[in-house]
Amino acid sequence: MKIVGILLAVVGWMLPLVGLSMTSSMGARFVLCFLGIGITLTGIIGVLNKAHLKNAPWKR
Amino acid sequence: MNRCTWLRPCLLTAFVLVLVCGLPAWAHGQNSTASAQAAPAPPSPAPALDAPLDLKSANAPSTADLAAGDPSGTKTGTVNDIAVSDSKKGLTLADVINEVGQNRIAVNFTWTLVAGFLVMFMQAGFALVETGLCRAKNANHTMMMNFMVYGFGLFAFWVCGFALQMGGAAGASTLGGANPLSNEFAIHFLGKDWGLFGTKGFFLAGPTYDVGVMVLFLFEMVFMDTALTIVTGGAAERWKYTAFCVSSVFMGAITYPIYGNWAWGGGWLSKLGANYGLGAGYADFAGSGVVHAVGGLTALAVSMIIGPRIGKYNRDGSANAIPGHDIVIVLTGCFILAFGWFGFNPGSTLGASGALRISTIAVDTMLAGCTGSFGAILYMWMRYGKPDASMSGNGLLAGLVAITAPSGYVNTMGAAIIGFVAGVLVCLSVEYIDRVMRVDDPVGAISVHGTCGLWGVISVGLFADGTNAVKGLFYGDPSQLVAQLIGVGTLLGFVFTLSYVANYVIDVVVGQRVPASDELEGLDIPEMGALGYPEFVLKPQPIPSGAVAAD
Repeated sequence: MKIVGILLAVVGWMLPLVGLSMTSSMGARFVLCFLGIGITLTGIIGVLNKAHLKNAPWKR
Repeated sequence: MNRCTWLRPCLLTAFVLVLVCGLPAWAHGQNSTASAQAAPAPPSPAPALDAPLDLKSANAPSTADLAAGDPSGTKTGTVNDIAVSDSKKGLTLADVINEVGQNRIAVNFTWTLVAGFLVMFMQAGFALVETGLCRAKNANHTMMMNFMVYGFGLFAFWVCGFALQMGGAAGASTLGGANPLSNEFAIHFLGKDWGLFGTKGFFLAGPTYDVGVMVLFLFEMVFMDTALTIVTGGAAERWKYTAFCVSSVFMGAITYPIYGNWAWGGGWLSKLGANYGLGAGYADFAGSGVVHAVGGLTALAVSMIIGPRIGKYNRDGSANAIPGHDIVIVLTGCFILAFGWFGFNPGSTLGASGALRISTIAVDTMLAGCTGSFGAILYMWMRYGKPDASMSGNGLLAGLVAITAPSGYVNTMGAAIIGFVAGVLVCLSVEYIDRVMRVDDPVGAISVHGTCGLWGVISVGLFADGTNAVKGLFYGDPSQLVAQLIGVGTLLGFVFTLSYVANYVIDVVVGQRVPASDELEGLDIPEMGALGYPEFVLKPQPIPSGAVAAD
């Protein structure tokens, strides 16, 4: 699950970069940026951090 | 009347008429001739640059005058002080012009170097803040991390970090050009050139042994060290010293310089404006993103890998406060940081000659720090009934972190708002990271530098008012905000990921965390061999009931 979290973080970063070449509309670029940041944060907080908390020492 | 009688008056009248009408005509003709003769007087030849100058009117003081002393200062700094290239020829116009150029660069060198010295002194501020917010049994260890990060980072940056970051950044006109930094490695992707890293300046050898490059190296190095020292706060009280050494060298050699190149070294982030019409490209005047967010997000990665301190969380996941041991040095450290920030932000103009905006930048910096502390103290007072000292200090730092990127682009109103928002944001972020994410951060480094660093990057895209070629959303250019959001995405998606993967590998190879017994005893003796306060008797701290020790 940690790998999934990392991959989501990278995909979220790449999404607006690839989108720059696909559209010149500022509105579309805004949407892609927010979507990308959302995916990245989901990967870091929602997946990666949760994977760490699953085996947290204070839970044992 | 006979013929002679009327002829004479007629002749006289005719003579008068000729005189009255003819004279002006004759005079006009003379003037025209004179003008025609005077019109294109040949231009006097320009003085030859290498011809000796006549110095009589310069009134240079004589030897006797100088020997008599100069209490008013009118005889010091005269034509006698201009360097003469050929003593046989004497002072020439070329000598004077060259002196003007030298003086301009000398002023900029002096300003940038002194600003860099101020930023270097911020290391002391960080050391005091972090040590004060940790327990006394870890004082030596925490201080030593902040002390040696200066050396480890400097070494890594000298070996390869500076070359990767600034190897293609020639063109610093305020410092004489730094022209040997002339090669940026780029790839062609999606139809555009994407600069990735520089390739000139390893060990500052070869043509980069240059006075302008040296100034740039010193200034960039102290910024890099600020980023590295942030991580020591997030991982304090349980980070193995050897792991800290390896992690810091990697960050100074690779992580920080790569993002620094993309933002400041001519890399792809700075070219988003030219390549995709996104405002002026990613703009980060003094490093909310490059320095603080990189440091804060790396601290997040290390803290997640390393785990929380023993006793921080109970079995039900609720958090316990672990107060620091010396609030006096925490707030003293905050003042030292605020002082050093006058080098951090205004110094980023890389010059004072022709860069008089340094005054506005300095005032913006002060204001944001001030309103940051207001935001934090008001939030804590309203929420918990008391003004919290450590959060007030963190609020000041949050405001300073947040204004770092926009300081060159915003007016004082924007600076005040940015700082205030950062002050409130840091309190919310500390609570979220501590209680929801359950990531242990003893000094609030992730919130102060990570969260507020990202806010600083975004605020450029909102509040930049166009006076320094960058204009944000509130002043009519939404595309700048898109560039800033791409920078935020890169910090989260690339910098965090690289830091996480690198520190994960370090954890596998070296081991990041100290054994539980060392942590409970305090890291000073097991890791450093000596107590930070050997004359004090440290009482054993009980683990709160419900809290669980690590393995």
